[in-house]
Amino acid sequence: MTARRPRWAALRGAVYAVVAARALSAQVAGTADLGVSTVRYDGFLPAGAASLSSAFVLKRPRSTLSARGGYLVFESGNTSMHAGLAGSAFTHATGRWRGEFWATAGGSRYADFASFWHALGGVRVHFLAGRGSVWIDGSAGRTSFGRAPRPAAAVAAGLWTRRDSATLTLSTSRTRVGDTVYSDVGALARGRRGRLELEGALAARLWSRGGGRGVFGEASAVFDLSERAALVLAGGRYPTDPIRGSISGRYFTAGLRLRSLLARRPASPPAPVPVHAAGGSYSSSSDERAAAWLEIHPESDGVVRFVILAPQATSVELAGDFTDWRPVALRRVDSSRWEALLPIARGVHRINARLGGGPWIVPVGATRTADDYGGETGMFVVP
Amino acid sequence: MRLLPPAWAAALAVATLAPRAAAQDPRLARLDPGARASVVALLDSARTAGLPAEPLMQRALEGATKGAPPERVVAAVRRLAVDLGSARDALGPKASAPELEAGAAALRAGVPPAILTRLHTARRPPLTVPLAVLADLVAGGVPVDSAGAAILTLARTTGDADLVEFRRAVERDIALGAPPAAAAAVRLSSITQGADRGANPSQQPRRP
Repeated sequence: MTARRPRWAALRGAVYAVVAARALSAQVAGTADLGVSTVRYDGFLPAGAASLSSAFVLKRPRSTLSARGGYLVFESGNTSMHAGLAGSAFTHATGRWRGEFWATAGGSRYADFASFWHALGGVRVHFLAGRGSVWIDGSAGRTSFGRAPRPAAAVAAGLWTRRDSATLTLSTSRTRVGDTVYSDVGALARGRRGRLELEGALAARLWSRGGGRGVFGEASAVFDLSERAALVLAGGRYPTDPIRGSISGRYFTAGLRLRSLLARRPASPPAPVPVHAAGGSYSSSSDERAAAWLEIHPESDGVVRFVILAPQATSVELAGDFTDWRPVALRRVDSSRWEALLPIARGVHRINARLGGGPWIVPVGATRTADDYGGETGMFVVP
Repeated sequence: MRLLPPAWAAALAVATLAPRAAAQDPRLARLDPGARASVVALLDSARTAGLPAEPLMQRALEGATKGAPPERVVAAVRRLAVDLGSARDALGPKASAPELEAGAAALRAGVPPAILTRLHTARRPPLTVPLAVLADLVAGGVPVDSAGAAILTLARTTGDADLVEFRRAVERDIALGAPPAAAAAVRLSSITQGADRGANPSQQPRRP
């Protein structure tokens, strides 16, 4: 149904980037990448894919505008496309200080899922020092999957420094999308020697509520065949991006990059297009909640074994519609594990837990819902 | 504000004006005296209307355990009674108590009664688990349309255990950062494609 239109749109974009870009001005650069990839999104089998992506960049002394788009065909026949527009403008320098305003918007679509879009704007303040700068950044906007837009906001800080032909960037950020919150730290190094440009990135999502955790790394090599063509190899593992809509995965891509003669710097290596837009909403409501993880194991004869993992707790109680809402103390099994065996009927049930005699909380593992009493209760299903 | 079905509203009115002697459940002693009489009246009226009273009792006890003020306890019990009545309207007079309770949870989560009715026609009883999974999905952030479509699709062919596994898989995806609607769609697609293969799809990843 929509396969033909995105394909033509992407082809038009690629042709425009390579051919028409030259005609505009010396400040314009365009690239088009044709490649084959193997991707493995978390939770999916590995799959091959063919990709076509293009980038168009307009640079002025104090501003930059870029447009990117991509189209991916998986071996299953499913297709994915994404497009984005980004721009930034710098203020005049005041001493060593310089401001930057930036904005970005984009969207993606996979198979026949609802489309994903985002729109963000931000302010970055740079402090220029010697061969690099230090910066802080704040941004806000909206991101949406289908008809469910959510607010997004981020704060970030970083520094970059240049040594000869190599650049090193270190950054840290904290991002909130709806009730998903995560913090990233990362390093990016880029260097060029002769016809070869190398780039490597290492990042870690150390703290996350709904955004996944892990250590991630990507690397790419661009070898110039001529002024207009280059071979591109890229691969690695990248994290879920709830703002721009990608779930974590691994990939390896080999491709051919075509570019306008005026391109000073190749575009980023082609990354796999998201299987579906990201932006999880499953989260805990407090530190206490995060300190208690609930597991429910149906045993025989209508008995359920409740397990709560709470390493810091001195005591653990639960109450629910299966205990007449009387607190039931769990038995400590080891340093972090608390258990109770309770009879419980099939169906949907409500539960709260209490650590060390504190407030009633909803443990992770139960679905949070309003409890009619100004608080929250957990919901779970016994099949 | 939700309107009471006429028959149910009449029963509530009768019970409020002249509460009959409900079976004196010892658990009622845990309720604040200010709430006890009204809760007893609501329990009586539920029984009169043929609705399960135990969920109402549990809702009252929950309020007592959480130290809720009496008027809030009564309001919560009354609200649940209305939801149980609406669930029965949607699911039919033969719906069991667990089905009504799960249906009420789904309605409270935001599921329209029409989806409950369609589920009632799409699957043979008991509907407790599909209703509970539906309520859980919506409460977990999956848009009502997506959750309803998924459960209606699965209801015809999928057993209770696989429905629960479906819910767990969606929950895992959401926890990893996937948007709830997409997580449900991916897992639904996985199951329906796996069913075509004759496999247990909820345990098998697929290709993108």
